[in-house]
Amino acid sequence: MAKLNVKPTRMELLNLKRRVKSAVRGHKLLKDKQDGLMKTFMEIIQEAKGTRREIEASLGGAFKNFMQASSMMMPEMLESALLYPSAKVDLSVTTRNVMSCVVPYFKLEQEGDILNYGYLQTSGELDMALSAFQEVFPLMIKLAEIEKQAERLAAELETTRRRVNALEHKLIPDLKETVKFIQMKLAETERSTVVSVMRVKAMIEAQAAA
Amino acid sequence: MKYSIAIVGNKEAILGFKALGLKAFNANSAEEATKVLYELKSEEIINEKTGESKPAYAIIFITEDLAMEISKDDYKKLSAAALPAIIPVPGPKGTTGYGIRRIGKMVEQAVGSDIFK
Repeated sequence: MAKLNVKPTRMELLNLKRRVKSAVRGHKLLKDKQDGLMKTFMEIIQEAKGTRREIEASLGGAFKNFMQASSMMMPEMLESALLYPSAKVDLSVTTRNVMSCVVPYFKLEQEGDILNYGYLQTSGELDMALSAFQEVFPLMIKLAEIEKQAERLAAELETTRRRVNALEHKLIPDLKETVKFIQMKLAETERSTVVSVMRVKAMIEAQAAA
Repeated sequence: MKYSIAIVGNKEAILGFKALGLKAFNANSAEEATKVLYELKSEEIINEKTGESKPAYAIIFITEDLAMEISKDDYKKLSAAALPAIIPVPGPKGTTGYGIRRIGKMVEQAVGSDIFK
């Protein structure tokens, strides 16, 4: 712990005492924020893990279907069938404030038909593969929402954690040590003044006696 | 306010999603994907009434095999803002475990160590 480079005066002492007070209060507030964020983060991260596992399982299946479908069709046919989709997806985003960290919520709006091609040159497997994708899709949006929230909270938690630690382990101890140093120094000066006054008094008394 | 959704990946991975109405972008290497991501991120829609601009894409899905090759610096820059959300999804080759590792990394960033290991 290093004391700060200040002159040991009464004014500095008062200033420092005020700073200690506000640092301690800030530390408490940040700590509360950290706890609040951590609580939300833990809930979200558990959910994210579950959703991620689900996606990995179901999306793998959907891709497998799609691969099978595409292997049964000529590549040009497949591409032209999917060239101009009539389905449209829109996303509306709302945000929520968690401990001054803004996190997004997504809401999916789908319209149009995904099976937008002639049936003559396409295989039935393609229909099935696309509806499998369609089924997984809302889950993917959910995953995006949760993971983005987790990402935002993680970043916010990191900065908050650093601030809390900096206050707790660096700034507050430094300030307290400096306050103590100034108090000692002031007490020392006071004692030294008292002693010199006593000596002067003794000298005057000795002169008067002589 | 309406946002679009994009997917970045190689051809076979994105074709199916294109039919769902997502904007599909082809990328075969990490460099290409990074370039596409920067372009998508900077694309903005300007609201005619208020004159405000907002990102055009709210979610950008990217296949895991590309996502894991993107450099850390680029990734940090890309994911810094509230939108878009860049989310890796398993590609046609199946999962690489990158998604779960990414969650582990978030826990590490937030808590200081990965407590779910």
